[in-house]
Amino acid sequence: MSDINVIYKWAEKAQKAAQQAGADEVEVFGLSSRSIHVDIQLDKIDLARETHTRGLGIKAIVGGAIGFSSTNMPLYIENAARAAVSSAKVRANDPEWSGLARGSTYKKVARIFDPRIASIDIDTCIDLSTSMIEGAVSVEAVIPTTGKFTCSSSDYLILNTSGVEVKEKTTRINGYMECRSGEGNGLANAYEFDISRNLDIDYYHIGEEAARQAAASVNGVGIETCETEVLLKPSAIADILESTLLSSLSADNVQKGRSALLGKLGGQLTVEGLDIVDDGMLEGGIGSARSDDEGTPSRKNHIIKNGELCTYLYDTYTAGKAGVDSTGNASRNSYAQTTSIDIRNMKLEFPPSDVIAETSKGVLVGSVIGAHTANPISGDFSVEARNSFIIKDGEITSPIKSMMVTGNVFQLLQNINGAGSDVKVLGNIITPTIKVSGLKVVG
Amino acid sequence: MTHHTDFHDTRILRTTGLSIFVDNGEIHEISESFHQGAASRALVGGSWALVTSDNPDDADKILDFAVTLAGRTHLKSPRANIELASVEPSVVHDLPKVEKDPGDISIEEKVGLLLEIHKRARLPDITSTSVIYSESHSKVEYFNSEGIETEYNLVRTGFAVNAVASQNGNFQIGRESRFGVCGYELFDRYDALMLAEKAGNTARDLLSAKVPKGGRMPVILDQELSGVFIHEAVGHAVEADHVIEGNSILADKFGSQIAAPCVTVIDDPSMHGFGYYPVDDEGVESRPTTLIKDGVLTSYLHSRETAAQIPGTGLPGHARSQGLSRPIIRMSNTFVENGDSNFEEMLGEMQDGIYLTGSRGGQVNPGEGVFQFNAERGFMVTNGELAAPLRDVSLSGHILDILMHVKLAASDKKMNSGQCGKGGQMAPVSDGSPHILISEATVGGSG
Repeated sequence: MSDINVIYKWAEKAQKAAQQAGADEVEVFGLSSRSIHVDIQLDKIDLARETHTRGLGIKAIVGGAIGFSSTNMPLYIENAARAAVSSAKVRANDPEWSGLARGSTYKKVARIFDPRIASIDIDTCIDLSTSMIEGAVSVEAVIPTTGKFTCSSSDYLILNTSGVEVKEKTTRINGYMECRSGEGNGLANAYEFDISRNLDIDYYHIGEEAARQAAASVNGVGIETCETEVLLKPSAIADILESTLLSSLSADNVQKGRSALLGKLGGQLTVEGLDIVDDGMLEGGIGSARSDDEGTPSRKNHIIKNGELCTYLYDTYTAGKAGVDSTGNASRNSYAQTTSIDIRNMKLEFPPSDVIAETSKGVLVGSVIGAHTANPISGDFSVEARNSFIIKDGEITSPIKSMMVTGNVFQLLQNINGAGSDVKVLGNIITPTIKVSGLKVVG
Repeated sequence: MTHHTDFHDTRILRTTGLSIFVDNGEIHEISESFHQGAASRALVGGSWALVTSDNPDDADKILDFAVTLAGRTHLKSPRANIELASVEPSVVHDLPKVEKDPGDISIEEKVGLLLEIHKRARLPDITSTSVIYSESHSKVEYFNSEGIETEYNLVRTGFAVNAVASQNGNFQIGRESRFGVCGYELFDRYDALMLAEKAGNTARDLLSAKVPKGGRMPVILDQELSGVFIHEAVGHAVEADHVIEGNSILADKFGSQIAAPCVTVIDDPSMHGFGYYPVDDEGVESRPTTLIKDGVLTSYLHSRETAAQIPGTGLPGHARSQGLSRPIIRMSNTFVENGDSNFEEMLGEMQDGIYLTGSRGGQVNPGEGVFQFNAERGFMVTNGELAAPLRDVSLSGHILDILMHVKLAASDKKMNSGQCGKGGQMAPVSDGSPHILISEATVGGSG
């Protein structure tokens, strides 16, 4: 019996046990996955790892109250199902509960499963990792420090008592390389990564780019504290948005009074010309699948259209509470966790131009550290910039040694005045370089 | 076994857990988990392999596979042989005693307590609260090819409360949490209701707090923030993997003065803090390591591999893994030792500057020696007196610069629990410090 059929049997068993224990409704998420990791230390492969995971996440509903359990122990499935039911019974009825996602028809998303990744062998993984190292050492005066190669293949299913029966197969592959260059106080490091659903990543390029960035960043200079034009490269803007904007978009946070976007639907939230689209059906998208993790068909949602806030992100429960349709944003990090609201593939779109050439005075920020320390509700952030450069008269000049960038995400979104054409996929966020006026940098 | 191996080990984990999430006074979720698994690691020449399975009965099978995988890697991409530092057979002793097994307390009673915590945090202006409770019981078995075998059980319990205050579109957050290697007696040790009220009050106070003007100035850090600073700025830079990769500002500083003489820093996994373990995930018995003694760098944090690679710079016993992941070098309970000053003396000494308290986390680039972290709140200090409250205060700078500028350490050390992420793995840790005075630091703020 293939793995997913084993998981299907487990899921049926869990569903039956939960119903017998008194659940009104049951949802079971079952996963079988295989992953291979290769760790790189300096210019050598350090460790190869292969992991097999199988498990169930069981949601039991009694009177609208949810209990959840997870297990990877076949002999424990019925116990886990009963534990989920007893947890649900601890809670009082929830009158806002409008039922689990209903069964529907689903459209297959192209290019999210690559059979070459599903059947990859360790030799191929070592070759790709080696190619990344070769890219890194191709740049003079640079030393690779650490790197990672990861690929995984997952088969999963979502079954519920409202007729959802989704089976999906996905693959994912990524590479990460970190390099350093320079000595002592002039030392600089940089990283580069790439991620895809398909075996189409240029590993040599990842290593080479990390090395180039490290080499370009050595012997940084100080900078005066000021307000200036800041060009946030894809990795920098994605990190900031993830920690400052996303939680405000969640309908759950809006309904619970902890979103700065409460009452702002239909209003002008950002600069005109900016579109933010979240698309669960994006071909080859890292967050794409035929359904979300509750079994709601995936769809494309305009969050921001020409600056206007069009929607929050909903799962089945929050949509029922608000009297709207789920936007298909129920998401889970692993089978052992229940769903919560998250983006699928969020794309920032703004008319592209040659943003560096158009900047007479400003800074270019490669990536940031410390974005997770931002205030996720107010959107205030203060981050340390990495691999940053002074831009003068349309040209990139000296690297900057150390600099903080502080601001507020909602002001940032209003002050966008340019975007590059260097669109990059950073997992679930897809964005070009974004140019913002009037951000404060602290030297 | 068909292949040659230089070393191999196996870990078997069995864990059960319960978490309860109360959101705005409603039970949002009760979640239970039942998991098990095994991980086998094999070394061939200079190549490691790790294979995991959900089924501990597969231990022999995954070990065979790990040996094959390491052999294949060694053949295809060889590197210099790895020696492992020799270690004594470990003895598990002094395990924390669980006075109240959380499993003996009903879910209803736990929920009742969380609802009380919610009510106490719900002060005027507080528009949203969340309370999280978690408990876990894990059994860890370890055995290796050198005949070292060990086994232990560990219970972890904790809670966190968040309160959000809002007024005219201004949202501020107050947080308190306590986690420990203990049972339900955690709630006898700490007054959870008082802490809930404290979180609520913090959020309320922040509503009227000002955003500071960024720049260079003297600062006093409270115990929590200074603990985060030492964890981020020193702890990560002394992890020997970073040192070997040339990715630590402290790589060529062993034995030299890297901090002011009033700074002594220790990492102690044998202490019963949230970062406690009796043996590490390579089977090495835990013991305290003095990282900085009177300002001099005296040890790195090591695994068996790195301790042999740079001998004389410390002992192994700091390899940890999240679940079945690869053991990597991690901190445990990291702290600055008490000095002989006190908070009042520091205020007088500083005169004008900022007092930063609490932490919203931080991050460090140990290679460039740059760190960044955010305080939960702060106060202006004018003429040696606490003045206007501040919010969204962050601190950044160079590790060595800040360490050398520590002027005074008080004698009021406190520890705080948290989670530390490295290489995609999370580990429970604690860190702490007395109040410290730094004569010059970069404060970030948009005011």
